[in-house]
Formats: sequence, C-alpha cells, structure tokens
Amino acid sequence: MVTLGVRRWETLADSVQGVNKRRNQDWYECRGAGTGESPLLLAVADGHGSAAHARSELGARFAVDRFMGLAEHFGRAAADCQGPGRLSRLMTYARDDFPRALVHEWRQAALGHWDRNRPVVEEASREPGTEEKVVLYGTTLIGAVLMPWLFVAWQIGDGDLAVVEHDGTLSRPLAPAEEDLGDETESLCGRDAWRSVRMHWAPVFEEARTPRLVVLSTDGLSKSFASADGYRSFVEGLAGRLAGEGGAGVREVLPRWLAEAARHSGDDTTLAAALRFARDAPEPAGAEAEAEAGGNGESTAVAAGAAEPDEPKTETETET
Amino acid sequence: MANRPVHFIWLLDCSYSMQGDKIARLNYAIREAVPEMRAVAHDNPAAQLLLRTVTFSTTAQWHHRTPVPVDDFTWQDVQVDGMTNLGEALHLVARELQSPPMPQRALKPVLALVSDGGPTDDWREGLKAVDATPWGRKAVRVAIAIGSDADRGVLQEFLGNPELQPLDANSPKQLAAAIRWASTAAVKAASQPVAGDASGTAATMVKQPYAPPVLDDDDDDDVW
Repeated sequence: MVTLGVRRWETLADSVQGVNKRRNQDWYECRGAGTGESPLLLAVADGHGSAAHARSELGARFAVDRFMGLAEHFGRAAADCQGPGRLSRLMTYARDDFPRALVHEWRQAALGHWDRNRPVVEEASREPGTEEKVVLYGTTLIGAVLMPWLFVAWQIGDGDLAVVEHDGTLSRPLAPAEEDLGDETESLCGRDAWRSVRMHWAPVFEEARTPRLVVLSTDGLSKSFASADGYRSFVEGLAGRLAGEGGAGVREVLPRWLAEAARHSGDDTTLAAALRFARDAPEPAGAEAEAEAGGNGESTAVAAGAAEPDEPKTETETET
Repeated sequence: MANRPVHFIWLLDCSYSMQGDKIARLNYAIREAVPEMRAVAHDNPAAQLLLRTVTFSTTAQWHHRTPVPVDDFTWQDVQVDGMTNLGEALHLVARELQSPPMPQRALKPVLALVSDGGPTDDWREGLKAVDATPWGRKAVRVAIAIGSDADRGVLQEFLGNPELQPLDANSPKQLAAAIRWASTAAVKAASQPVAGDASGTAATMVKQPYAPPVLDDDDDDDVW
C-alpha cells in the first residue's frame, strides 16, 4: 500500500498582511512529500496581534516550528503503526500526549526567547510572571500530518481546516459546534492550553478514499465572508480550479485572493493547501526537486512582513 | 466577501431629569462626535461602523431603528419626556443582539449608555435580557454618568465589570470628551483580539483594552 519515494501531494501556500497592520503576525510552513518515509506536514499560525500579545508574530513562528518538529517525530512513530492495535495507541498519543508536548515546547520557546530578549527596563521594575511573559507570544495554530494511511490534524483557536473528501464532499472536521463570536479565541498562551487542542483523526484504509484537498487557513480568510457559506464556496471554488488546472495557475492568483480577503477581514490572511495528485496524472515539473528539498517551494518562505528568525525583539514592538 | 460590521448602539436617557442643560449638552456632544466616528471608521477600512440609537423615557424607542453606516449618519436632536424606562430600552437592544439578526461574523458590538441614572422600571430584568444574548455578553460597554448627582450604581451594573468605571460627565466639556472617547476608543476596542482560557469560555485574560479619559472638571474653555 505504501509507495515510498513518490510525491503524492502538490502544495501551495501564501500569506498576506492585514490592512493597517505593522507586520504580518501569521506564519506557515509546508514540508514533506506525503509518503511513508516523508509525511506531508502543513501548519499555519496566527499571532493574536493586539498590544497584550506584543510578540505574537514570534509566537506564531514558534508554534509552526515546534509543530513541525513534533509532527516529524510523530510521522516516524506512525511509520510502524499500521496494525489496528498500534493505530489505537498512536491515536491515544495524538490525542493526549501530542498536545501536551506541543504546548510545553511552545512555552519553552517563548520563555527562552524572553530570557534572551528582555526589554530594557529600570532595575526596580517588577519581573513579569511566567504567564504574563507567555501571553506576549499568544497565537493560534492548525497543523496536519498526511501519510498514505493516515490523516491527522490538530487545532487550537480559530482559523479553519477544510477537507474535500475523495467523493468531493466538503467537511470542516475541526470547526467548533458553535463559532466564536467577535474576535475572541482560544490560544496556545492560555492556561492548560493543551486541553483546548482539538484533533481530527482519519485513518485511510483504502488509497482511493484519501482526501482530494486539505486546506488550512487563518481566520483572516473565513472572516472575510459574511457567512460560513461564503467560506465553503471559496474552498469549493478552489478545489474546482485546482482540479481543472492544477496548482500552477492557482499559485499565481492566490496572493491576490488572500489580499482581497485581508482587505475585508482586516486581518493577516494565510492559506496552506495540499492537493492530492490524481492516481495516473504526471507530476508537475519541479515537484520531485521540491520533494527532495523536504517541502514545497515556499516551505522556507518567510510570511510577508514577518520578522526574521534571529532578529532580536524588544518590548517596543507593539501592534495595536 | 464583506467587511465586518461593528454595531454601535447608543442608549440615551431622555427622561425629565435630563431637562434643560443636560439634554442640550447631550444633543450637542453626539452631533460633535459623529465626524470623529467617521474618522475612526476611515482608519479601519476593514470594519464597517453601523450606528443605532435608542432613547428611553416613559417608553423606549428606536431613534435610529435600522443600522446606519457612519457616513450616512445624521443627528436629529432628542427631547425629554417623562419616566426613565431603562429596562425597556435594554429589552429592545437585547432583541437585536441575538444571532440573527446580528450576523455571526461581526466584530464585537458596542453598547454606550448615557444617563443620569434613576431608572423607573425593572431595569435589572432588561440587563439580564442583554446578558442572556450571545452578543450582549461580549459587547464592549461604555457608561457615561451625566451630572454629579447621577446614580453611578446603575451604570456600574450595566458595565458588568468591576475593573471598569462609568465616565463622569459633570460638565459640558466632560460630556463631549466622554462621548468622543466612547465613540472612538470603544470602536477600536471592539476589534481587539482577545485570547480565551482553556475552559472554552473565551474568558478575558487581559483587562479590557481601553480606559476612560481623565479630564479636569474645568469649564473655562466651554462651548456653552
């Protein structure tokens, strides 16, 4: 069942800065081929962006980076877990241990960054508590792992995971029963944040039933529509266009679509998507090279306007 | 695609206790605040600022029933009447804070109460009705107390947050400043993202991201 060394998915991703924002506080990454040896990993994160979360663009990057590391580890563990009993244990790990590890590593990254980049303050001023420091880096996250026999995704906070199944039906498996109103959301910086991580677990027992399209997006996209129906129509349109002309054409227009969404939602807007290659379709030129590089051409791209990874940050970088 | 609406609702006390200077100041201050609201709206092109007003006296009624885009908003002076039926006004507003008619994908609404207090009906029932709505619980609330004899307890309960205080408007200058502030800062606060806690209730982790202006009670450069 497993086809090693063959790229199974075409990916595309982009991010645009919201209007009136000083910088883009989203981050994303796509990596891997979707095979047993090289699972496809997708992640998008949305830093909260308000003054209380002054370092959230870094929090978003830490979230994506830490997710990628843990997801790679998860993929290695999953490679030997195809039997029913083993799959069950893997699911328990994905549901309970993965979120704990993710939140722990993200907090360590945030606190480590704080220690290396303390704001210049008077000696007499009070050292912020741990939770106060972590809040500065507040972010949401959606991440997914795609392997030939397994699709699993996690989400904390808002944003959207949309899946176009093998038969063309569209689902949003991680959408809450009732949408948050306004701009309130759960966050990696919340207390016991791991409890708020939602998981989608979907073993693929037959290759033909693999989803056609998986779309991860920050809430800047869905909130640009007046209703959830608008967002669904967008994903259906994206799926149709990708099926018709492949990723190249869509990759060209995607920045314009996201910019239009950001103009309406006012928020940074990021989308990462994976389109399953048709069984007998030839791979597009360059796909193999991208797979060998460990991700799509944009996997190492810096989200527009976001900070460089090693750039020191100070308390003065406040988005309001 | 559509810009996200911010529904701003003024609740204006037009009871007899507002007779004379108070109602004149209120009319002047609201009229003066409109250009500032337009400026804030233009600075936030992704948000669509929509205004409504409710007046309450012997009865409560919509002064602007349909949400009016701020660019089209004009102010017609309100007059005083009799009693202070705040509860009835809150019930009127509560009916609008359901979803529908409020869209699911809006920014937080703003409820701005301007009153000298002393409600004459069961205003707590009205407040309960607002608190029982999904958008009412999340609304940014502002309360402006007109006059030094205002019943601040009512306004404090309307705010529903001990960390927030009603704005004092003991002079025309203070009232104009408070209304200007409520019109602009509260709209900005409505679009601030807030992280929730792990219980799923999205409880606020940080203090409300706005604070009232501090003004001297100094009428030297009054417009009156």
